Amino acid sequence: MSTEPRFSHRNRWFTIAVVVTALIAATSAAMGFVVLPSLQTNTRFTGIWDAICSAAGLVRAAPAGQPVVQANYKTTDVILSSSTLDGSSAISIGRGATLAMRCTMCHGTRGVSEADSPNLAGQYIMVIFKQLQDYKSGARTNAVMTPRVADLTDRDMRDLAAYYAYLPRLPPYHPATAGPAPQIVESGAPMRNIAPCATCHGTLYYKTGSAWLEGESSVYLQAQLKAFASGARHNDISEQMRNIARGMSSAEIEAAAQYYANQPQ
Amino acid sequence: MTEHADSATVAARMERRWGTVSIGIILALVFMAAYIGVHQGVMPQPRVETVDPRTLHIAGEFIESNLGTAAEPDGSVTVRAIGQQYSFTPQCIVVPADTQVTIRATSADVIHGFLIEHSNVNTMLVPGYISTIVTRFPAPSERLMPCHEFCGAGHEGMWGRIKVINKAAFAKLAADQRRMTCVAQ
Repeated sequence: MSTEPRFSHRNRWFTIAVVVTALIAATSAAMGFVVLPSLQTNTRFTGIWDAICSAAGLVRAAPAGQPVVQANYKTTDVILSSSTLDGSSAISIGRGATLAMRCTMCHGTRGVSEADSPNLAGQYIMVIFKQLQDYKSGARTNAVMTPRVADLTDRDMRDLAAYYAYLPRLPPYHPATAGPAPQIVESGAPMRNIAPCATCHGTLYYKTGSAWLEGESSVYLQAQLKAFASGARHNDISEQMRNIARGMSSAEIEAAAQYYANQPQ
Repeated sequence: MTEHADSATVAARMERRWGTVSIGIILALVFMAAYIGVHQGVMPQPRVETVDPRTLHIAGEFIESNLGTAAEPDGSVTVRAIGQQYSFTPQCIVVPADTQVTIRATSADVIHGFLIEHSNVNTMLVPGYISTIVTRFPAPSERLMPCHEFCGAGHEGMWGRIKVINKAAFAKLAADQRRMTCVAQ
């Protein structure tokens, strides 16, 4: 048995092992950080240091591309968040109730419409806030709504949203006698790139920014789906609703709208 | 004494052999990775780029009017797309055949998958990061682009289409549009 120290340069095995390991490490590093990046077709090789930083995963700025094409229509500039509007105070709700006096003509005294304008009672706070913002910015337009939001401040919109979100919403009404939910609501049309309504609007799952639809007017829902499909309404973020509505058949639009609109007579 | 020396020689020989084999395996793996990278187009993301997923729709290269296919001055094209619960925007991407295509895509909410059938385009769209893939489609064809990373309850309804058209037809499209898609066609 050899008695010489293991980690010593006099130990031939140790020296060779260290040298070989270092060589392999150096070769691999050169290959991965320099040779491969320089052969990559999807980026210009701008120097060894840059190649090493990029390969090591440091955040780099995007290469200057062509100028961004701006839309010739207004799109929404609301940042969605499930938490920014949480914890509305009683003051906010009370202030919203006062401001809501001007809304009662169309949206009902307690947020439930008797015309075909949308019910707002119990609507998600983010939804009302976003729609008001969009009306004000012009991302969504409506002959009645547009002039009415012009003088609302950011705080007014938060208070209005808080008030309507606080009111009790219409509960879903789908008795067994009404038959099963339409396929478009429950399973969508996966073969036509349409996710089920219920995956964003509730029942199956909820996506922030999606509206509560139960008890909403069928006329209103159909009009909105058609407006999304044609692009006349375009305040949905990055076309998320236009993508869905575009593929829906008129029968599906009607079925979905009537399902959600169903309420006890 | 001689017996001891013999066993020391045998041990050294075995050590050398095992050493050679294991170093050989490591070198073979290193060169295999390099070979695949160079000859089979399996290259990692060239650089890490970040973007705020909450503001994609407000400013920057991923606003809706800038999505789709852009013709570049060097003859290649750049495709910009986003994945969100539960669709790709644009839903149909049009690209010219036999042309270098740079895809830049990201996610607005959760992790989505980005895969184009019959091609080596297969990546994830991670919120906060821009995925870049360079590819080339040899001939006109239509391909599916399913989201292949479970992204939520509506995942099965999330897919897009890729339409590869010939160069002349694409040039005609590019003559009067700056960003091209084949949505609703």
